[in-house]
Amino acid sequence: MKIKVTEEWCVSQARLEAGAEVGAGVIALDPTFESDDAKNEPIDDSRVALQRFVELSRRQKNLSRQQLAEQADIDLSELEGIETDMHYMPETRTLYQLANVLGVSQKKLMGLSGLTQPKDVSYVEEAVRYAARSESISRLTPEEQAALDGLIAVLSEK
Amino acid sequence: MSIAKVPDISPISLYDPTAGSAVPAELWDGITDKNLGDWEVEWLPELLSRLRILHGQGVARSKWPQSRLWDWRRKLQAIEGLLANQCFSIVCNDMTQAMMITDLTHRAKLDAKQAAHLVYVEYLETAPWNRKEIIGQEPRLSGCGSIMIRAAIELSKEEGFKGRVGLHSLPQANNFYANQVGMEDLGIDKDYQNLRYFELTSEKAEAYITKGQQP
Amino acid sequence: MSKKTMTLNLTEAEMAALEALCEKKQMSKTQLVRQAIRLYQKVDERIEDGGKLFFEDEASKEKSEIMML
Repeated sequence: MKIKVTEEWCVSQARLEAGAEVGAGVIALDPTFESDDAKNEPIDDSRVALQRFVELSRRQKNLSRQQLAEQADIDLSELEGIETDMHYMPETRTLYQLANVLGVSQKKLMGLSGLTQPKDVSYVEEAVRYAARSESISRLTPEEQAALDGLIAVLSEK
Repeated sequence: MSIAKVPDISPISLYDPTAGSAVPAELWDGITDKNLGDWEVEWLPELLSRLRILHGQGVARSKWPQSRLWDWRRKLQAIEGLLANQCFSIVCNDMTQAMMITDLTHRAKLDAKQAAHLVYVEYLETAPWNRKEIIGQEPRLSGCGSIMIRAAIELSKEEGFKGRVGLHSLPQANNFYANQVGMEDLGIDKDYQNLRYFELTSEKAEAYITKGQQP
Repeated sequence: MSKKTMTLNLTEAEMAALEALCEKKQMSKTQLVRQAIRLYQKVDERIEDGGKLFFEDEASKEKSEIMML
């Protein structure tokens, strides 16, 4: 089989690809994503930021997990996973839906989750700093409100 | 036979980001002994030296290239003579830059009622020096992934599958398939080592081809 | 790759089935026959390796072995 493809097409796609990982296929003899190995690995700070952001946003809106899951049209178990299990890998769709409901950038939320490797890591570092300022209690304290405001600003598109 | 067949050759271009220019290359519709030799003699030592660096830096194993244990020679032997598997390789400067094995007997999961066939990308890997995450600097050549997906789309059209393509992405490549190729993410597949399954509809395949034609 | 052409003798019923499948799959006759050979070859190889071909009823999980091929 031969294909016909222009140099312009190749170059424009190649520039977008930019040496990114493109591998596909099952990983022979390799531990998988959700194996026990993964559970023992240290937690990424960015995952803490994601967990804090989702939880603070939900509480600010006075929503139960059930209610937020319904609003975002995602499985309750996915939301529980994000909020309670730092090793939990959410579905891409879940993050898309959450980003929409919470009004922040889908790409940035994906980057924070570790599902994608963000090109610009500065927002991740900033989000981690904001997340560190909050503690988990039932109502938002003024400090938590400030942390959430900061997270929203960092995770918004612009 | 996948190995013995003399491949058809299509002229393509890759991109050298350091020079900022296109580099003429070839898409072969097969994986030959030459390709396997390049893999053994050039890819593997390079990969090993990069792994040594990652290991020395204390980088977590989950961040190591996930295709590091692939044995292309064995993969090829396993499908020798099977019409269901079509192979492709990209050669530039007399060196293999990427290899791909497809399977034509899988069916689309999107719109499963139609049970339509698609081109399933069984394995796709690029040479270590073309992977920014492994070498920690600009790749020698970029564009192999895009060309291989284009080839899968063209094969899909030729076989009457309307451009439909499916694959299980390695975790580090999720972003490429979701955002650059525009494939539908069907989530983690428990039957495939918890890899994410992505599918390209015929509409999205057309969009992918036209996307690159815009200036 | 060079391709070879052949004439295929089918009964009316076989031709009707082929045409119906082509319509359903939106594939040409050539494409459909090529796909059929690929599938036949793959299944045959698996069976020769000691595999069995099953259909599973999604609701009851009941398996029925296909003795064809």
